[in-house]
Amino acid sequence: MNISEIMIPTIHSISSDKSVSHAARLMSQYQMDSLVVIDHGELVGLVTSRDVLTAHPNRIVADAMCNQMHYLLADQNIWEAHHYFLNENVKLAIVLDEEQVSGMITKETVEMKIAEYKDPLSGLYRAPYIQFIGESYLRKQIPFHLLFIDLNDFGRINKQYGHPFGDDVIRTYSAVLSSIAEDQGDHLCRYAGDEFVLISTAPIALIEQYIDLISRPTNVLDITVSAAVGHVNGCEDPDFFKRSWRELIAQASLESSAIKAQKTASALPS
Amino acid sequence: MFGDSSVYSRKATLSLKISEFEVPPMQDLLIIGRKAPIGPEAVRRMAEALSPEQFTLLKIDHPKIEAVLLRNSLLQMMDEKLLMKIILEESERMISESMVLRSELKIALSVQREVDLL
Repeated sequence: MNISEIMIPTIHSISSDKSVSHAARLMSQYQMDSLVVIDHGELVGLVTSRDVLTAHPNRIVADAMCNQMHYLLADQNIWEAHHYFLNENVKLAIVLDEEQVSGMITKETVEMKIAEYKDPLSGLYRAPYIQFIGESYLRKQIPFHLLFIDLNDFGRINKQYGHPFGDDVIRTYSAVLSSIAEDQGDHLCRYAGDEFVLISTAPIALIEQYIDLISRPTNVLDITVSAAVGHVNGCEDPDFFKRSWRELIAQASLESSAIKAQKTASALPS
Repeated sequence: MFGDSSVYSRKATLSLKISEFEVPPMQDLLIIGRKAPIGPEAVRRMAEALSPEQFTLLKIDHPKIEAVLLRNSLLQMMDEKLLMKIILEESERMISESMVLRSELKIALSVQREVDLL
């Protein structure tokens, strides 16, 4: 989803020589929390309701506005906006479309939209998040490891213990995976029902430890849970950046399916 | 018919005082409080409109004072840091965040030299 789809498209402006009390009146009239400050056709600042509340009403807007403006592009996606707001520690940005001001966007709006992409059961982001990270790394040519983690026999757990217990297993297992991902600043999502995707830029030795740890049968809520892990190593594949996100995720998921099938076959009596 | 002998009238008395408007009205320096009704940019614009290129606005990091407007000639006579130190030391005792102080600052040089007679 692009910023242009959730931004405030209407912009109201004021000149910097107007009073703060006039700015407050305009904000009330337009029911806006901020006004862009334009002098002689040039954007010079932004005055918010907070500025208006803290400055003396007799002051001119130039003495109350913030002239360090933050810009986002209309075609950037909400994940980029989310990262931008977190990194810059700002609450509002002006949206530009072909170098023209086309709207405004608040951190709050972005966070509300991002929350829709969070899985309520596990608290992890869903597939669009990891896709954004993966595509962003591919675009910036940052090599990474892609792990596709598929729980083994999850259908059996649901059938044997009931779906609420299955939900508990997903929740607990997600917390275990999160603790691994958080340690390295990696990116994790719940891709689908019992499937998770991890993107990591950690060294291969650590990735091998991850795979070993995740593949090994683990006690979760007094039952044994294991997972099949498909791995795409972007650090060794010379054509890695020529491939699409879709191709990479397909390869990793097929690999995890193959591992799962292999384990099932070896468990069958010969 | 009622005989009404009282007369109703409304009068206004005007009092007019005329004096010369001093240009610029801010003398040598203005010290602007953080929550003063007139902010630094407005002061700068006012000074620039009334006395172009004669004043400099210095924004400062101070709990009560936001900026000081200084006549350029003062900065040519004295080191800026020294001048600001003196101004802040003296003004911070009486200024509040919501005030703008006006000040006159004159620098008089006193010299005494001793020379050898030929």
